[in-house]
Amino acid sequence: MEEEEEGAEEQERFSYQQRLKAAVHYTVGCLCAEVASDREVQLSKQTIAAISEATFRQCETFAKDLEMFARHAKRSTISTEDVKLLARRSNSLLKYITEKNEEIAQFNIERKTKKKKKLEDGNKNSVETTEAGEVESEN
Amino acid sequence: MADSYVSDNEPTTRTLLRRVLDTEDPHTPRRRQSTRASAQRTPLETPFSMRLRSQTKTTASRRSHRARSVGRLAHIQTSGHLKEQTPRTLLENILLTAPESSMVMPESVVKPVPAPPLVQSSSRESSPGSLELHLPEFKTPTTLAPSLLATGKRKQRLRLSVFQQGMDQGPPLSPGPLTKLHGNAGASSLTSSLNLTFATPPLPQSVRRPGLARRPPRRPAVDVGTFLQDLQDTSTLPTDTVLEDTQPFSQPLIGPSPSVHHSLPCPSFSAERTVSHRARSSGPGLPNNSTGKPAPLLVGKAEGVDALAKGFPNTSNSLSGEDGLQPLQDGVGEEVEEVMEESLSMSDVKEAAGAQGSARAEEPERHQEVIEAERSWGAIEAKKPEASPGDEDTPGRTGSPELTSATLEIQQARQLAFLEPAPPTSTTVLSSEPLEPLSAKCPPRAQTAGPRLRRDPYKTGLNHYAKLFSFYAKMPMEKKALEMVEKCLDRYFQHLCDDLEVFAAHAGRKTVKPEDLELLMRRQGLVTDQVSLHVLVEQHLPLQYRQLLIPCAFSGNTVFPAQ
Repeated sequence: MEEEEEGAEEQERFSYQQRLKAAVHYTVGCLCAEVASDREVQLSKQTIAAISEATFRQCETFAKDLEMFARHAKRSTISTEDVKLLARRSNSLLKYITEKNEEIAQFNIERKTKKKKKLEDGNKNSVETTEAGEVESEN
Repeated sequence: MADSYVSDNEPTTRTLLRRVLDTEDPHTPRRRQSTRASAQRTPLETPFSMRLRSQTKTTASRRSHRARSVGRLAHIQTSGHLKEQTPRTLLENILLTAPESSMVMPESVVKPVPAPPLVQSSSRESSPGSLELHLPEFKTPTTLAPSLLATGKRKQRLRLSVFQQGMDQGPPLSPGPLTKLHGNAGASSLTSSLNLTFATPPLPQSVRRPGLARRPPRRPAVDVGTFLQDLQDTSTLPTDTVLEDTQPFSQPLIGPSPSVHHSLPCPSFSAERTVSHRARSSGPGLPNNSTGKPAPLLVGKAEGVDALAKGFPNTSNSLSGEDGLQPLQDGVGEEVEEVMEESLSMSDVKEAAGAQGSARAEEPERHQEVIEAERSWGAIEAKKPEASPGDEDTPGRTGSPELTSATLEIQQARQLAFLEPAPPTSTTVLSSEPLEPLSAKCPPRAQTAGPRLRRDPYKTGLNHYAKLFSFYAKMPMEKKALEMVEKCLDRYFQHLCDDLEVFAAHAGRKTVKPEDLELLMRRQGLVTDQVSLHVLVEQHLPLQYRQLLIPCAFSGNTVFPAQ
């Protein structure tokens, strides 16, 4: 029974993985089409398949690394610092991520000020919680 | 010869040494063997000794019982079957043979022999000629020497045999083993020393006086000349070394130093003799000291060493500079006369040595080395000289390498000479000790001589890794490939350190800790969910590191290493 359950779980995971892969493949295909039209270069399907497979595996590695970084910093939640640490190798990527991070931070600050104003105005608690939840989700 | 010594009531160095040998309890584990050997030897000795003397039987019996008779040594000496290398027997043999070899030949015979050979290139030709002249005459005495030589260390035996063959055949062979060391000077000196040794044997029979007395006069004259020549030759050396050569060991090193230095790898028995003799002559040559050299052997090793040390500092005093050579010569002559005297104030020597020590750090060291060599000479306990020369060698190394090497050689020669009776193990240790420092000295000297190359600080350490890489490649590598490897290694280590720094900062720390390294290894893929860090540590690191890295819980709730 356990084996069957495990087998079923594995199949589920596998199917889930396949779906994820398919999603990644679709996204990669769209991006490659964009790049091809920009550079006026043709990309074969095998290339796109290879790129999507590599992306998928890299995502797995990223996830593990992020988890390691968070644990290394003695946190249980992955933060933007972990992401930045992950992207440090690639300068452009690091820059991009840093900029994005700053934007988000600013956005959060603006949101907070807005919240305070609303609170001062005497907002309802439900609105605050929803906004806090949105802010957290955005983070 | 032995009879003369036996009948000698004067406390000559030889007799004293014999007494010491007789009285001293064997300290080496070879005692049992020696007893056996002695037992074996007694029957052999008796017929041989009977030829020479009438006291054979009594002495042999005494020897078997380890009685304290001087004649015993003589018998032992005469017996040519000295294959058993017990310290006592070997030492006794040396004692017996040493005077023979050191016996002063008639000046007419000896002087011409040493003088020409000491001259550089020409000496070779003359020495063989002189040797040839003397060889046939001294065949009988030489027979003893070879036997005694054979009893020496294996290396010595080989070298001696080779040397003897060379001597018989002609000049080219004899200096063969020595040529690699240095040029003609050494070979010539060695041959000259050989000449001396071969020439001396017949003397004992003719001369009743102790052989030591006669020895000095000839050698000093030659030694000084050689020494001066060597000084001039070695003018290229730093002045310190030159001065050092002249000062502390001017006397003892005059002759033997160049010869011994050259003959470092294979100190021949005769060379040892000459060296020892020269050292003796130089030591006591000091005006203050009477004898100092063999006497210490008799009374006590320390005393003898002191006497020698005293002699050296005195000589150094007198020879404050190279100018002292001449007075040295005179002093040497005087010393020669005094050589035969027994150990005088040995303590004075030590004091003098101590006084000298303040003057020059290196000189006393060398003195000490020589003293140690002397000690080994009379050392029944072979281990003492081992320790002392070893200790002295290390400080001596700091000094001029030449001098130290020379002194070591002298020590080695002496040690070898005395170690023949000593247990072969101790001899090997002793010889190995001086040999090792000597061999170690040569490469460092060559390195310091050249200019220091400026190296890139970044790539300095990578050279080591590049070499490792080339080793593990198991095939020859181009230089360009090695350079590329170095570049890659450089980048790799830079990345590594950057990552470690970032990891430490990520954890809010300023110090890199093992956790950061573990994280890095995870990123590298060495540490996975299946393979933990501890597993890798156990697999690749030696046990000591494993102890440090993997915490282990001991009883009492203590964890090692403490975290």
